[in-house]
Amino acid sequence: MTENGASFETGIFNESIETWKKEGKKTIGTICCHVPEEIIHAAGMLPIRIRATGCTDDSNAEVWMSSFSCSFARSCLQLFLDGTYGFLDGIVGSDGCLMAQRLFDNLNNQFRDLYQRLVVVPRMHTARAIPFYREELEKFRTDMEKISGVAITEEKLLHSIEVYNETRRLIRELYDLRKGAAPLVSGEESLKITLAAMSMPKEQFNKALSGFLREAAKREPPKGGGVRLMLVGSTLDDPEYVRIVEEKGGFIVTDVQCYGSRYLWEPTVLGDGDALDSLARSYLARPVCPRMCNMHSELYDFIMGMAKDFSVDGVLYVKMKNCDLWGGESVHIDDKLKAAKMPLLTVEREEIMTNVGQLAVRAEAFIEMIEGGVS
Amino acid sequence: MDYWRWTESVWKDPDAPDWRGGTVTAGVDIGSTSTQAVILLDGKLYAYANMRTGSNSPDSALDAMNRAMEGTGLTLEDLRFTVGTGYGRVNVPFADKSVTEITCHARGAHYLYGPTVRTILDMGGQDCKAIGCDAKGAVTSFMMNDKCAAGTGRGMEVIANLLAVPVEDIGPFSLSIEEEPEPVSSICVIFAKTAATNLMRVGWSREKVLAAYCLAMAIRVVRLLERNGVEEDFAITGGIAKNAGVARRIERLLGITALKTDLDTQIAGALGGALIAGDLLKKRQA
Repeated sequence: MTENGASFETGIFNESIETWKKEGKKTIGTICCHVPEEIIHAAGMLPIRIRATGCTDDSNAEVWMSSFSCSFARSCLQLFLDGTYGFLDGIVGSDGCLMAQRLFDNLNNQFRDLYQRLVVVPRMHTARAIPFYREELEKFRTDMEKISGVAITEEKLLHSIEVYNETRRLIRELYDLRKGAAPLVSGEESLKITLAAMSMPKEQFNKALSGFLREAAKREPPKGGGVRLMLVGSTLDDPEYVRIVEEKGGFIVTDVQCYGSRYLWEPTVLGDGDALDSLARSYLARPVCPRMCNMHSELYDFIMGMAKDFSVDGVLYVKMKNCDLWGGESVHIDDKLKAAKMPLLTVEREEIMTNVGQLAVRAEAFIEMIEGGVS
Repeated sequence: MDYWRWTESVWKDPDAPDWRGGTVTAGVDIGSTSTQAVILLDGKLYAYANMRTGSNSPDSALDAMNRAMEGTGLTLEDLRFTVGTGYGRVNVPFADKSVTEITCHARGAHYLYGPTVRTILDMGGQDCKAIGCDAKGAVTSFMMNDKCAAGTGRGMEVIANLLAVPVEDIGPFSLSIEEEPEPVSSICVIFAKTAATNLMRVGWSREKVLAAYCLAMAIRVVRLLERNGVEEDFAITGGIAKNAGVARRIERLLGITALKTDLDTQIAGALGGALIAGDLLKKRQA
């Protein structure tokens, strides 16, 4: 609970969702951060970003998605199959990557009574791609109006954009607290907060985060230096993973991954067109992940910009096993980071954490390496 | 017969002066398969022991250290600073600090092979590591294999038992063939056993099967090395460094001859730990 009485809800199903449901309101699950949640919010529904935090067994899902698929997507499916996501009234996915789409296909196949829509998102950021994406968002809006019974007016959408831009501003302020020589917020805590942003009403979250920021700014800075690391790579929705690294003497001071900074960061800029047009333009312009075919250099520039702004000593590049996008991108980024003399540790991970010891020894050795040896 | 059993070793510097009056530091490396204790006197190698790891890490550490101290008059109280390393590094009851085996191996290799070494391949009981280091023995890059004992010492022990060849003879056996065979298709310990059995069944000699297995292992670790970057001079540490069947094949694949040492290649981690212990002691005294 923060000083203004609001608290973060980090569970997949939590008290704020329970209250929301009791009020007779609907919740919509979203897959991938290319689904503009503002449209769901404007319809008076609660967007919940699908994740698999804490999943410890994906054996039911493995029947549908083989061990060669993405274990994050598979674990998400598991949580649908075991009823964890039973509180949802609908799902909106996007073809963010093949595995996000396979997850959606499986949900489509197995939960036929549940409302589902796939928003097709262009893989190119070009002038021609924007009207296409806008059209997709238009269909998405129509559907949201139908299932909520609420007309999504321009005014409502503009209000939602304002609420979301406030969330973005606050999340950036949260990250700012990690910029100093002694970060006031750990990487683990920060990830818990961005996960909360995906799992509770934004107004409530904004209030909680505002209160938290005021409190955290007064914190006593941690004593002693630590190696400043940046986390880059595939989806990482597990604060435990970050904790293991930080326990070895590193601070995760920032990240470039879609459950952290890549969720809500760049504000939606209102342009000459309507709100939907502004959403399409702003969402497509973000360097989020290597899915965008013509934005590799923007993504790299964003990573290096983050490294500079947060005085990063080394990059922890975490690839989800079988992740085509970040797995493939690492071939290019490895060379670029090496050329920029940025220390790099690449690790492979699976959603169900089984290799704690292996991660710990690599992280510890990486930290020792950056420190120039122990002595 | 336990074909997998490798020879434990204990060594003491015959020319070393009495340790009393000098500074004694130590390193203990508890690996999955073997445990080493190294004692330095004023920064110079004084004694070491290389033993099999038992079921209990603290006992293994103590056993190895007792063997290294045997006959020297040293007791644990005389060790001014001890560093624990290896996967059991936090389980060395008499250690003052734990340091990862990656940092320790680089430092130990720097002592064993000299300051020109830049690339180290440590082939341990259940993992292998490619390490880049600078002229001071500090790590500049590293890469470890993932989640599997394939292509490591433990895999070699399994093959030794399967083919009834003492593990220390595998190298010479595998090199005694006229023509190099294709590598076995998988070095997963389980699949390699099946592959080796099948090859024996179709009439391959044990030497040829071992050559195919050693070659597969060499190919696997060379890939790891190349991903991390290979710069001369190059050295191999760990138990597999003693297996010429793998070591020569790695050299052939890389086109580089590895540096050699007369000391036990398995002590690199503990030796690095003992050297770092010396630095930390100086820092503490400063």
